[in-house]
Amino acid sequence: MGTSHFVIPTAVLLFLAVGAPVESFELPVHGFVEVAGGMRLGNDPVQPKDAVLGEGRVQLQYAHEWEKGPKVFVKADFLGDAANEALRAELREGYLDYAPMANLELRLGRQILTWGTGDFLFINDIFPKDYISFFIGRQPQYLKLPSDAAKVSLFLPRVSLDLVAIPSFTPDNVLTGERLSFFDGLSNRIVGKDANLTLTKPKRIPGNTEFAGRLSGEVGSYELALYGFKGFFKSPLGVKDLARPELFYPELAVYGASVRGPALEGIGNLEVGYSDSLDDRAGANPLVENSSVKYLLGYERQLWTDFTLGGQYYVEQMLHFRRFEASRPAGGAHRDEFRHLLTLRLTQLLRHQTVELSLFVFYSPSDEDFYFRPAVSYKLTDQLTAVMGANIFGGRRASTAFGQLDRNDNIYLRLTYSF
Amino acid sequence: MKKRNVVLVVAACVSLLSLCPPLATAQTSSAEEIIRRSHLAEYYPGDDMKARVLMRLVSKEGKERLREFTMLRKDLQEGGEQRYFIYFHRPPDVREMTFMVWKYPQKNADRWLFIPALKLVRRIAADDKRSSFVGSDFSYEDVSGRSVEEDTHRLLREEALGGKEAYVIESVPKNLAGSDFGRKVAWIDKRALIPLKEEYFDKRGDLGKVFSADEVKEIQGFWTITKRTMQDVQTGHRTEAIFQDVRYNLGLPESLFSERYLRNPPPEAIR
Repeated sequence: MGTSHFVIPTAVLLFLAVGAPVESFELPVHGFVEVAGGMRLGNDPVQPKDAVLGEGRVQLQYAHEWEKGPKVFVKADFLGDAANEALRAELREGYLDYAPMANLELRLGRQILTWGTGDFLFINDIFPKDYISFFIGRQPQYLKLPSDAAKVSLFLPRVSLDLVAIPSFTPDNVLTGERLSFFDGLSNRIVGKDANLTLTKPKRIPGNTEFAGRLSGEVGSYELALYGFKGFFKSPLGVKDLARPELFYPELAVYGASVRGPALEGIGNLEVGYSDSLDDRAGANPLVENSSVKYLLGYERQLWTDFTLGGQYYVEQMLHFRRFEASRPAGGAHRDEFRHLLTLRLTQLLRHQTVELSLFVFYSPSDEDFYFRPAVSYKLTDQLTAVMGANIFGGRRASTAFGQLDRNDNIYLRLTYSF
Repeated sequence: MKKRNVVLVVAACVSLLSLCPPLATAQTSSAEEIIRRSHLAEYYPGDDMKARVLMRLVSKEGKERLREFTMLRKDLQEGGEQRYFIYFHRPPDVREMTFMVWKYPQKNADRWLFIPALKLVRRIAADDKRSSFVGSDFSYEDVSGRSVEEDTHRLLREEALGGKEAYVIESVPKNLAGSDFGRKVAWIDKRALIPLKEEYFDKRGDLGKVFSADEVKEIQGFWTITKRTMQDVQTGHRTEAIFQDVRYNLGLPESLFSERYLRNPPPEAIR
């Protein structure tokens, strides 16, 4: 986009340099200024650059609320991206909140939508994700992509109902060879900058509006929820034609439930979801992802002062597996009926919670692959935070979720000034 | 039903005792009774409460960090279940974060944290007794209270502290392994029944943390510690907390303490 976008970050930095020492001054606008850099560890022959992350970012947010009236909220990012040699402005959130009745709320516009009980694992949260940001060391908030949507929330004494309509489809930001190399199932090899994929989004017509809903309530200390979704896979899990590298987003419906609450001196959660692949309900079409059932069991507990341990066991069961096997083209990547995935989260806070040591591990015994996310964060002052971390991938086979990322191991550093 | 009766009896005793303070002073009932009344005076004044709290975390080297938040409390029963709601104003990286606690007298509290950048409500698996509140020298327990029944209390003596007559009471955890301290000595103001000073000793018997009520004001008829300090004698770190704009009996609705308002707190509640 235009260089004019860079005028704003520069102005903000100047303003901060002058205004920051004035402690009691209330800024009308909040946000942060950040510089971040990340490098590939080792060499990837299909990627010309070693830098996976190199950016200066300013995030600004502004809210205005009328007494007993609507509220507007805007959050925008302005970034100079050295790794991609681009200047960009992104509207992260921009919505209007309005409550026409005491127990009814509307949120209209660009918003981050999320629900469910998983920790970096999503069963009933079929809202768009940015896995590239996640893999290269951006702040965790960038895993979530905004949706342009209308949300209605109804609050009754014992239950709440959220209904969301998303008229314009936003896909996940998935591996396309830009920055990170990945396994291309069509050419059966690891591709990077040389990838040649066409991703076709669903047409922007009223009939393609996506719908999501959640009914939630509490029983004692336990939170229960039912979920429903009708729309499209957020990742391009359909192939138009085997001869051409053109992928699309098949139709999807998801029904699920979750419970979360105290268990064994900690917090436990259980979530299930049935993904109904509407473009291939019989599971006979090898070009479209099959239906599946996903199960998640999670537990988190504080073991000692400022140390928390979390673990999850996740299983994805492909339905109509025999038909998938029977229709799998010769040389097509192997898949299991059951994909087992374990995660581990360790967090230790030190020095009055100004230092955080953390490790998140994904490990799949069935895919035989792993992903380690170690990080150290240090709050130098109330405003300034430095984070250093790494993303380490590996596996036995190049075709699995984390195995394909083997050559993308990277380390990163972020310095963030919040105001 | 039984628990409720006990609560009623205790409440009746407390109101009787507070009606005739000289009698109470003369009889000095049991140490546990004093602690029970002190617990109510410190953590249950009014039916609800709102305050803007400024915490200064000061390291041994004098380096300062600030935490500023609005705190709301509602009691469901006097001496029983409570709801807390905290909205952070500062530091900037946690601004707009909200924190909700449903506190029960006999079991672990339920805690939720809303992270606005992620639009995510997390359930917190923290242990009351061992967790520092936002990195300060105060534990969660110091902020919302520790059950009277968890310790054995003994009246050591009565003496004046800073010109105020006080009971000096020693409290020893019944379950040492599940506690962060080995012994506590508290100076309880005979008139206001709030602690003026507390010394926490570690399990080896060494002095660990010292609490002091630096400023006490009567607000709407309730004695309120408006300025307090918790000092970690062993590390030299200390936290000062100033309670501003304290108000009681605002008539906060119970529905405020819900996921709905955790995600979207009403502006008048957090100002």
